[in-house]
Amino acid sequence: MSAVTDEELVRKSKEDDERAFGELVSRYESKVYSLALRMVRNPEDAEDVLQDTFLRAYRGIKSFQGASTFSTWVYRITANSALMKLRKKQLPTVSIDDADERETPVNIADWSPGPVEQLLSKELQHEMDEAIGALAPEFRQVFILRDVEERSNAEVAEILDLSVAAVKSRLHRARLKVRNRLAGYFSDSAKPKRAMGAH
Amino acid sequence: MLTCKEVLDSLSDYLDADMKEDLINEMRRHIGSCQDCRAEVDTVTMTIKLYKHEDNQNQGARVMPVGCHDRLVKVLELEKMRLKGDNPPKMV
Repeated sequence: MSAVTDEELVRKSKEDDERAFGELVSRYESKVYSLALRMVRNPEDAEDVLQDTFLRAYRGIKSFQGASTFSTWVYRITANSALMKLRKKQLPTVSIDDADERETPVNIADWSPGPVEQLLSKELQHEMDEAIGALAPEFRQVFILRDVEERSNAEVAEILDLSVAAVKSRLHRARLKVRNRLAGYFSDSAKPKRAMGAH
Repeated sequence: MLTCKEVLDSLSDYLDADMKEDLINEMRRHIGSCQDCRAEVDTVTMTIKLYKHEDNQNQGARVMPVGCHDRLVKVLELEKMRLKGDNPPKMV
């Protein structure tokens, strides 16, 4: 069935062809799970998002007009479902309106020289995870789709139903927020231990 | 010459090369002569690289767990029965 296009499978699914919908599930379940896991950051919630996504796709396939591709449509459902999951959990995040960007550079330490492999310790990975977790879900979605999944601004805009300008604005702010958090980590880890407790 | 604020505001577009060439050249000139802005650009660049690298390294952890596909199929089958009015057992 792999030579059959998504469009053909969608058309058959609209006519209650269960095998066609099953093939769409097989084609996209791994990608949907992976995107969900990147967004919600734990396997149980990612599986909930996966099930919710395909349940919604199954219920909505007949009204799917084909204005976007099936893949964009299914990723949009995934992003919405993940967003709802994150909002329900109400973990403390940096609000989307909380502008913490600086207007001018403030002489930050440049921790960038050196190969990425050398910097990436377990401790840093934990900090990176925390930094993503602290982002408001609306920022997190854009950062993951753009910088981790490496989709274009236009694709992200289509998936999230935003303007390209809104995607760029959120991406800019998300990048700075995450970088600021990592800058804090590098600056703390550079301090001599004795100085930490000093008054 | 661009100000530091203008450079910071356009930093993301600059990294994505999403701006006119003459502006890219102006950004380059400023960054070449301003250590603070260079650190801004380099650390945001490294932040993105770190996330991409970490994501590649942990690809295995994002594979669907055992049984996940079967549970999804089951949920969809129950939904199919529900829509057809076959009164399936309540989903949990």
